[in-house]
Amino acid sequence: MSQICIRVKDLVKTYKDLTALDRISFDVREGEILGILGPNGSGKTTTLKSILGIIEFDEGSIEVNGLSVKNRRKEILKDMGAILEGARNIYWHLSPRENLTYFAGIRGIPKKTIIRRIDYLLESLELSSVADKEIRQFSSGMKQKCALACAFIYDPSILLLDEPTLGLDVEISRTIRDWLLNVVEKEGKTILITSHNMDFIESICDRILIIRRGLIISHETVASLKEKFARKHFRIDLESEPHSHLLDKIATLGIVSVSGSSISVELETANQLIPLMRILGGADTKMLDFHTVENDLEEIFLEVIREEEE
Amino acid sequence: MRFINLIVAEAKMLYWSLRRYMFNTVAMLVVMFLIFMGMFWGIKSIGGSGVTGDSLDSMLVGYVLWVSAMLALQNTGTEITSESMRGTLEQLYLSPMGADKIFFVKAVINMVFNFVFITAMLYLSMAATGRWMSVNLPYLYGMVLLSTLSLVGISFMIGGIGLIHKRIGSLIGILSFGLIGLMLLPTYPITPYAFLPFVAGAAAVRNSIVRGHVYPVWWYLFITGNSLIYLLVGLFVFKRMEKKARRLNKMGQY
Repeated sequence: MSQICIRVKDLVKTYKDLTALDRISFDVREGEILGILGPNGSGKTTTLKSILGIIEFDEGSIEVNGLSVKNRRKEILKDMGAILEGARNIYWHLSPRENLTYFAGIRGIPKKTIIRRIDYLLESLELSSVADKEIRQFSSGMKQKCALACAFIYDPSILLLDEPTLGLDVEISRTIRDWLLNVVEKEGKTILITSHNMDFIESICDRILIIRRGLIISHETVASLKEKFARKHFRIDLESEPHSHLLDKIATLGIVSVSGSSISVELETANQLIPLMRILGGADTKMLDFHTVENDLEEIFLEVIREEEE
Repeated sequence: MRFINLIVAEAKMLYWSLRRYMFNTVAMLVVMFLIFMGMFWGIKSIGGSGVTGDSLDSMLVGYVLWVSAMLALQNTGTEITSESMRGTLEQLYLSPMGADKIFFVKAVINMVFNFVFITAMLYLSMAATGRWMSVNLPYLYGMVLLSTLSLVGISFMIGGIGLIHKRIGSLIGILSFGLIGLMLLPTYPITPYAFLPFVAGAAAVRNSIVRGHVYPVWWYLFITGNSLIYLLVGLFVFKRMEKKARRLNKMGQY
């Protein structure tokens, strides 16, 4: 099992009367992509900025590669990159190449040692043809790619990305996702991402942390989250439209909705699957197909939030 | 080695910015050239050909002191405000070099570029008017750089306030206005005014270049001490404000 590279323990951050983080604890392992989800103002960005030492937390501890953020921040930053304000994090009046050179330089890295890295990043993010053009003229997606390249320029092993796909279209979001997955696989990076883009988070993250009002309300792998919430939802295709007496019987097991000859059933427990099959077996119409409907992450997220509210 | 790379990066950044905003750069150089031409022609028309070089030297020293002092005083505060407005301030805080070092290097690089422009425009206007001055420029720039370090310290204090309060244009304006008075105060032999930032250095530069005063070594040590103390106090205040900005989550939010 890979080593823990970020350890957050009992983290507390308050602003006057508002508790932004209320004793949250979690670990991130080497080579893992952890997603942080939560409604606006839930504490996602505060968590990221606390790990980077940009926000001073009140209680608890954060360790990165075994070093405390409170006392060894500068050492930690040598191996950590971040995007915090999306594409605003870079200089729009400069070109991508100039930005990359500058961000390496202010970390004390000379250009000659990163020339290859600059070319690799520009090429892999399809920015080579605009490498020397002013970023101001670029689309949002291209600006975001430049910001991403700048965060990766000094080859840090840990990346913290706050809303990396905010305001981007599906195509660019997918390009960024594929690029990140490729980098993680090839270079073994550890990534912590916050996003409201559920498809993006679902397709890229190994584990998901759901935060609400500064508290962690769910902390699971994507697969286990989906398993937990998706197993009770089924769609049945019938040969003909079902009779009302069949629907009444099924309704005793859970919530039923009908669309032509298809029935959607949401059971209260997975144990009710056998009685459901018995009812369908005795029906006067033939069952053509039976699907387990997987909730997408957005539905799961809303359900977790709803459960927590209740 | 790492620090040199930071210096190179900041010098490149300034060069790229000057090149990108070429119109503004050219306008700045033209204004500087016109000011020098105005000095040369003005002195010539008032004093005729028999005027001594002293008045011109005095104006030149006064101009260099004034421009450099304004630059030193305003640099860190305005840099922090503009980085914050752009959204790039937090990225500077992610550098293991530390934001204080970055802003210090920015201030010094700005000053050095300023000296290069002044020298270039000065020689251009001397060539244009055919009147050649014999000011010891290395001494002038060295002393200006040394004495404006105290103002860099004040600028760090303003920058620290800027981290929390963001809009600090009025404060910079008031302090810049106060600078005019500071440059004319008597300091030697030692007066209470000598303990203010920049005052002793500015007076020493003016008097030694224009009037040929020779100061003892201890006076230069005093000026160095004055500058370093203000710089260190400025950095200390900046660090305290930075800590407060971290606590209040004010870093980078404009």
